[in-house]
Amino acid sequence: MGYASTIKVPFGPQHPALKEPEHFLFEVDGDTVVNVTLRIGYVHRGLEKGFELETYNHGLYLAERVCGICNIAHTVSYTQVVEELMGVQIPPRARYIRTIVAELERLQSHSLWVGIVAHEAGFDTLFMYVWRDREAIMNLFEELTGGRVLHAINTLGGVRRDITPEWETKLRKGMDSFEERTKDYLRIVNSERTFLKRTSGVGLLSPQDAVKLCAVGPTLRASGVKEDVRADDPYIAYDEIPFNVVTSESGDALARTVVRVEEMMESIGMIRYALDHMPSGTIKVRPPKIAPPGEVLSRAEAPRGELIHFGRSNGSAKPERYKIRSPTLANIPALCKTLIGVHVADIPIILAGIDPCFSCMDRMAIVDRRTGEKREIEK
Amino acid sequence: MIVYDLFFLLVFPGILFLLCLAFFTEWVDRKFFARIQNRYGPLYTGPSGILQPLADFVKLLSKEDIVPRAADRALFTLVPIFYVTLPLTALFIMPIMGETGLIAFEGDLIFLLFVFGLMTIIIFLAGWSSMSRFSIIGGVRSALQMLSFEIPLGIVLIGPAIAAKSLSISGIVQWQSANAAWGLWLQPIGFVVLLTCLLAELELIPFDIPEADTEIVAGWRTEFSGRKLAMFRLGRDLEVVLCAALAASLFLGGAQPLWLIPPAVVFLVKTIAVVLLFSFIRSLFARFRIDQVIAGMWKYVLPIAIVQIVLIELGVGV
Repeated sequence: MGYASTIKVPFGPQHPALKEPEHFLFEVDGDTVVNVTLRIGYVHRGLEKGFELETYNHGLYLAERVCGICNIAHTVSYTQVVEELMGVQIPPRARYIRTIVAELERLQSHSLWVGIVAHEAGFDTLFMYVWRDREAIMNLFEELTGGRVLHAINTLGGVRRDITPEWETKLRKGMDSFEERTKDYLRIVNSERTFLKRTSGVGLLSPQDAVKLCAVGPTLRASGVKEDVRADDPYIAYDEIPFNVVTSESGDALARTVVRVEEMMESIGMIRYALDHMPSGTIKVRPPKIAPPGEVLSRAEAPRGELIHFGRSNGSAKPERYKIRSPTLANIPALCKTLIGVHVADIPIILAGIDPCFSCMDRMAIVDRRTGEKREIEK
Repeated sequence: MIVYDLFFLLVFPGILFLLCLAFFTEWVDRKFFARIQNRYGPLYTGPSGILQPLADFVKLLSKEDIVPRAADRALFTLVPIFYVTLPLTALFIMPIMGETGLIAFEGDLIFLLFVFGLMTIIIFLAGWSSMSRFSIIGGVRSALQMLSFEIPLGIVLIGPAIAAKSLSISGIVQWQSANAAWGLWLQPIGFVVLLTCLLAELELIPFDIPEADTEIVAGWRTEFSGRKLAMFRLGRDLEVVLCAALAASLFLGGAQPLWLIPPAVVFLVKTIAVVLLFSFIRSLFARFRIDQVIAGMWKYVLPIAIVQIVLIELGVGV
């Protein structure tokens, strides 16, 4: 007999640090995490099956609801898959509008994240300020699309609403003030001593590990790997808009914060450039109802990283198979690696570091007890 | 005379006044903290939400009181009561109405340190008796934090005592009044160290490690609910008043009569000023990690506290 040298500390499915239900079981030796077990599947919704049951047009609504916070990335991917299957070319103006809303979404998603990581580090004042300024972007969205969170602007063959000159003026003004604020946040996260103490050197992920474990998005770029779908495999109008892929060498929680804040600055520049070079013309073409047989894989850079949509058509009005790989799932192995050997107090900051969006990535495994056969249901 | 004594004890500056002051400080803290963060804070209950702390307290009293099956029932029930009574008792030695406290005696500064120590032990017991992982981690963190701030706190409290040649808080207040000198001017380093240690004692940001909500739910308070949680919240408010009153008395002159203004008002203004200082500091920082606090306290705060005492011994600011 004797006492176990480690205790098990559960995080979730209900825990203040997790906004969505997933279960992490940490084996803790003193104050150091020695092992982490992850159990996902609490918010599995069967969305991929849902795509197969409905027409391509209905699928758009489902794609929008995969993830609330990055719904534009999902609809961009979905429309790309379906338009490619159908052989539809969208008008140039629609491509630019999609790019502008996609970058606006990156702004609101990243500022949401900066607030959350400040909250996890106990820095509630920064949290409140960032979220206050995020409201301006939500209001701009509401004015353009009618929705604060779900925007429903992308549709098959183009976009639903055009950018008016009035809204464009408002957007430019909003970007000016938001740029000021973002510079301020960059200064704060780079100089506030207590915040640096909590994030600098915490949750290190080496570039080799990041690549080996297939990390994506800001998590990967914070480890110094210059990879961004927008630059490597441009979609919508990204091939015409100049921007820098922001990277950082240190690979810690601070680097993830700085990379995201600097990406916000890049996004502001991209929105301005897109507004300046906006082509005129129609915003929508009429898509056909059915798609000829074929398979399409589409990549997009969601705020959280590389998002993959795959669709297969058998020539009917419904996809035969639809698959989504959301960035959070790709980042989970890297997350589990960075969590080993950290202090218990650092767990929330590292967990938040990948900007987790668990309900978009959830899947479940079904084990047939009679045959021992195991299969996974995704989404 | 006994009527007067009872009045002093129960109404002013006794229990009733202190409870009102506790609720009022919570409102001041919440409102000020919220305004700094560009929020409204309490708004609806009473003018500008001034009754919100009381409303919260009453609401919690009426809530279901759950005792976890694994908890040590007796301890679990006793701990919230101790948590309220300890700071309330300690507040009686604070000079509020005049330059002498209600039960002032020579050596009450030592008694106060003892109360601070006991408070932390109570917190540790609260975590321990809950038998929940989060509570135990919170309790252990609280005890660790005490090991780091107790020594500098004790040392820095000696500073005014040396200057006033008295180990009683009332004596120190009288000395400041007689010499027309505040501890703040004479021992500024000591004041900064005292504020740091009191923030750690009160578990405010950046030292809110024992109850870090994103890490360990509510820390040592996780399992408490209903009446017990109400008691903890009241105890916390009283502790804030105690700490603010201590800083105000030792370093800001305490309850001095000022021209026609009664000493009690002067005391209130100074105490609230210290509370505002607490709220302001806690809005500026992120939370430290427990190992960083312990290392920082022993490496930096303790030597600074010793430097202050050495300066006094050398005759600087006496």
